Amino acid sequence: MPELQGLYDAVVNGDQKAAVRLTKEGLDAGVEPMELLSSYMIPAMDEVGRRFECEDYFVPELLLAARAMKGAMELIRPLLTASGAQPAGRVAIGTVKGDLHDIGKNLVASMLEGGGFDVLDLGADVAPEKFVDAVENKKVDLICLSALLTVTMPSMRTTIEALERAGVRDKVKVIVGGAPVTEQFAKDIRADGYGENANSAVALARKLVMAARAA
Amino acid sequence: MTSRERVLAAIDGQPVDRLPLMPITMMYAADLGGVSYGQYARDHRCLVEAQLRTAEAFDFDYVSAISDPAREASDLGAEVEWFDNQPPAIIESRALLSDKSALKRLQLPDPHAAGSRMGDRVSAVALLAVRAGGDKIVEGWVEGPCAMAADLRGLNTLMLDFHDDEAFVTDLFEFAVAMELAFAKAQLQAGATLIGVGDAAASLVGPRTYQRYVFPYEQKLIDGLRALGARVRLHICGNTRKIVDGMGRLGCDIVDLDFLTPMAEARAAMGGRQVLLGNLDPVRVLRDGSPAGITQALEECWKAAGPRYIVGAGCEVPRGTPEANLRAMTEFARRTV
Ligand code: B12
Repeated sequence: MPELQGLYDAVVNGDQKAAVRLTKEGLDAGVEPMELLSSYMIPAMDEVGRRFECEDYFVPELLLAARAMKGAMELIRPLLTASGAQPAGRVAIGTVKGDLHDIGKNLVASMLEGGGFDVLDLGADVAPEKFVDAVENKKVDLICLSALLTVTMPSMRTTIEALERAGVRDKVKVIVGGAPVTEQFAKDIRADGYGENANSAVALARKLVMAARAA
Repeated sequence: MTSRERVLAAIDGQPVDRLPLMPITMMYAADLGGVSYGQYARDHRCLVEAQLRTAEAFDFDYVSAISDPAREASDLGAEVEWFDNQPPAIIESRALLSDKSALKRLQLPDPHAAGSRMGDRVSAVALLAVRAGGDKIVEGWVEGPCAMAADLRGLNTLMLDFHDDEAFVTDLFEFAVAMELAFAKAQLQAGATLIGVGDAAASLVGPRTYQRYVFPYEQKLIDGLRALGARVRLHICGNTRKIVDGMGRLGCDIVDLDFLTPMAEARAAMGGRQVLLGNLDPVRVLRDGSPAGITQALEECWKAAGPRYIVGAGCEVPRGTPEANLRAMTEFARRTV
């Protein structure tokens, strides 16, 4: 049995090579892919998010951890799909129209992936129609909107209105975030939730998707 | 005192007749000057008229050639997206140095080249100096090493490079410093007294990476600027709480603070001599707040900063700030000694 605690450490330390090697060793030794994900990688990304929140980790450390996790996920994802395991949910994420800030969005995307979600990253400066398309054609459960500029916050409203107009608003949950966004603003534009940071984004996503599936 | 005398006295620790007033205006100035932001960033004559009008209207002690981070990158050949009424943006997915080996082939651009975006800024400085240099401080602007590296390589990629390729990062930072020193020199020769250094990306890297990579090159740039005879203003927006002590050791004449870094904390970390500028929350307090709220927030900044203080916001004065709000800043500076 390989030393799997090392996989946790490799992700926390952002060591992609070690993360990939240990994942391979684990799989070769017959460890279930789901076990690698839920017992080691997800807790590791939780820890990374915690360290970021308490200002022990910063953007470089977070992006390194995310890359380590992505490397390991490439080995695990096909096996999960083949075994018919359900992802925690399907998410489309993007920075809204007019806004080019993507670091926060990237971090949220990585943490969601680390949290077991299947993530469709639409990039930055994303038009409302692209989100509508993701709901109609990619069957996403959740949309994550990011905005860093006060002047692009209205694009969040426009995006939600576009979902309403296309008649798909009730098929999907929408959460919003980014430095200038507030809980109150999220309520005002009829989003389903607001997350202050990447960690709370994952918790919120889990809660909303679970509730929607139960309903 | 003229505006110029006031700012220089404040920097040198001499008595002043009132607090200097130096908020950054870009989109706000363009709107006031009646030009689109695209014109403001492309044509120095538009920038200069708008700066003069704004400084005049609110009695600012300076005018500035700051506009957007893409001037140097544009001249190096990076792909830039233009908007009609927003700052131009560098396209990260097609970054100039997405292939690292391209760095070796990069030539230092000529900051005077006809038709270049750097040349347009030098022209802005020259015209500002003619029109306002007798009375006001004329500020030139360059990118700091971390910001410039991010402009060329892509911010997300640079963050990983810190870990992956030390030699590349240091070569890139060396290149940035050499380029910015030449750019600053051209602006100083054109009549700038003060050079602003914008290094916002530095607020994202955390103290370890800052000390290891960013600080040494900021130091090199700032030493070089001082050797050229410039007064230096450092502007790192964002949360700098974990790096302010380093920022205070660079020997800048003025350090700007964004609202995420409490003034009192910065003062404690940097000691009593550093001139600090800031740090109203640009959106929540300055744009969306009331004149009374702004006055009170400035009282607090000033109290926390002590006498070596210049009035300003944490970052650019946002577009759409009510006139009465900006006026409250002016009134505060005017009556405070
Ligand atoms: C880096 C940066 C840039 C880079 C962006 C590069 C990139 N690839 O992203 C560049 C140089 C291009 C840039 C340009 C501009 N910028 Co800028 N920029 C910043 C800076 C310094 C850091 C932003 C950042 O990455 N933060 C770190 C990440 C990790 O934090 P975050 O994005 O908030 O994300 C976290 C949470 O908010 C949350 N979250 C984020 N998204 C989501 C989504 C969901 C669903 C959830 C649940 C949570 C969530 O989780 C994340 C992790 O915890 C900020 C300053 C600051 N204090 O933030 C200014 C800032 C955002 N920029 C600002 C401005 C004004 C601009 C420009 C207009 C400047 C100009 N005049 O040129 C342009 C606009 C370009 C455009 N059209 O978008 C202002 C915005 C003011 C406002 N409120 O409107 C800021 C605040 C600076 C300031 N103090 O004034 N900028």
